[in-house]
Amino acid sequence: MGQITATLGKTMREFLRQKTILFWTIAWPILWVLIGSFSFAGNAQDEGIPYIKGSIAISMSVFALMTAGIANLPGNIAQDRERGLLSKLMSMPINPWKDFVGRILALLAFSFLAAILVTLVGYACGARFSYTLTGLSQSIGFLLLISLSSAGIGMLIGTFIKHVHGAIMSGVGIAVVTAALSGVMAPYSSLPWLLQQFAKIYPISSGNSSVTYLLVGKDYAGYNPLSTSQTTLTLTTSVLLFVVGLIVYSRFCWRKD
Amino acid sequence: MDAISVEDLTKKYGDIEVLKGVDLGIEEGEFYALMGPNGSGKTTLASIMASVRSPTSGKIEIYERKPEKAKEFLGYVPQENFSSPMLTGKENLMYFAGLLGYPKKKAKSIVDELLNKIGLSEDADKRVSDYSGGMRKRLEVATALFPGVKILILDEPTTGLDPSARRKFLGLIREIKAEKTTILLITHIGADAELASRVGLIDDGEIIAEDAPEELKKASGLKDVINIETTIKSGRVANVLGRFSEKQKVLETDVGYRVYCEDVEEATPSIVRALDAIGCKATRIETEKPSLEDVFFKLTERTVREVS
Repeated sequence: MGQITATLGKTMREFLRQKTILFWTIAWPILWVLIGSFSFAGNAQDEGIPYIKGSIAISMSVFALMTAGIANLPGNIAQDRERGLLSKLMSMPINPWKDFVGRILALLAFSFLAAILVTLVGYACGARFSYTLTGLSQSIGFLLLISLSSAGIGMLIGTFIKHVHGAIMSGVGIAVVTAALSGVMAPYSSLPWLLQQFAKIYPISSGNSSVTYLLVGKDYAGYNPLSTSQTTLTLTTSVLLFVVGLIVYSRFCWRKD
Repeated sequence: MDAISVEDLTKKYGDIEVLKGVDLGIEEGEFYALMGPNGSGKTTLASIMASVRSPTSGKIEIYERKPEKAKEFLGYVPQENFSSPMLTGKENLMYFAGLLGYPKKKAKSIVDELLNKIGLSEDADKRVSDYSGGMRKRLEVATALFPGVKILILDEPTTGLDPSARRKFLGLIREIKAEKTTILLITHIGADAELASRVGLIDDGEIIAEDAPEELKKASGLKDVINIETTIKSGRVANVLGRFSEKQKVLETDVGYRVYCEDVEEATPSIVRALDAIGCKATRIETEKPSLEDVFFKLTERTVREVS
């Protein structure tokens, strides 16, 4: 057993055993898939309904990834610091980078498990998708970028907000508000001009549009998120958020007083 | 050979000097207790030894190495309950075994051995959230007992434990002591410090006295102590009792006062009469030998723990 496996196993178990985490990351998006599937899709033309449900399922899967990274990860970091585990780890002959990799792998595994469950519920509610194998693998890439950018934001929150509940609730708040403002929870076309610009810059939203474009169709994305410039922007901002979060986390969380 | 050697160690936070030139040597296999009140710098000193904090100046060595280079020898148990409540006792120990790089099979056998040692084999598969405070603390000590650890640093391990859990915990520490592990116990409880072969009293960032517990008591010059439980606790009562006590100082306890006098038999009836005169009753009077907390009080005129 290595340090990465040990941290991955411990973090994954904690994610799967905490009711707050299960609620915000799995139950909440599923609830919105159910509400969205049976109310918002009700007025659309019959042939479009399965794809509207598909786009709702994708948005809520993205929301699950967001919550995992933006709320669960900082909650986990703050919890370990508050209960003295980080002090204990600093006294041991271990590598902080391996701790970090273990946490991120656990986050990715848990996030994708949540996203799969949300998508399956959407499918059971009548959501349908239209995709190619290439589109599917590209979508997985965009989902990975969404997870990484969420983790970047999560690490910033976890580093600066010291208390567990403060970190979790700040994370949930940021996830909900930015999801609403950037079009993850509402059609891109219904956003005012300023928020449409935000939706293109915010990598979680542009990633969501990219996945929707690839798995449901261009009509449901609202714009072309796969243009070279937009894809470059999504990729750059995702990596940037992740790298900034990583630097801040490793410098401040593992720093000696 | 010193297991831990500290020379002229200082630690500052801004203008506040938490440690003021501490010198300390702990021999291999020794059980040393560092006793002092909250804010005296004892936790800061322990955390510098454990590489959690850096000193401002001075020298600190663990087996003649800098603390960061000697982590494999050191088992640090911080004051907080750091074990994960969501995991079982066994899962927690397996996590630490994994961090230390043990292969799974070897990790399982070490963890089973540790659980047996701390008396938690039967509760190994219960979640830590269902553990009592004492069980949790014993589990956390086990995280610092993996093979190769030569020095155990325990920061306030009995704080918050009920008397029975505390007794059980101290029994475990005695067993570890018998195995010749070097132990540094950080505490503000005199009775816990009495278990050590040597005690350092720390106050305001300085070690003010250091010796075997009995030697410290002898050197303090304290004779018997009258432990009085009173119906009233007030400044007036303390003043009245002070008339019978050395340097007119009495130590306030949770339920009354400790009075330091030369001749207990002669003083006791006078104390009762003096209390009666101000309308205060002594509900219980006991004569005791001085404790390390009394020694600390004698040296500093301050209590080692806060009175609730």
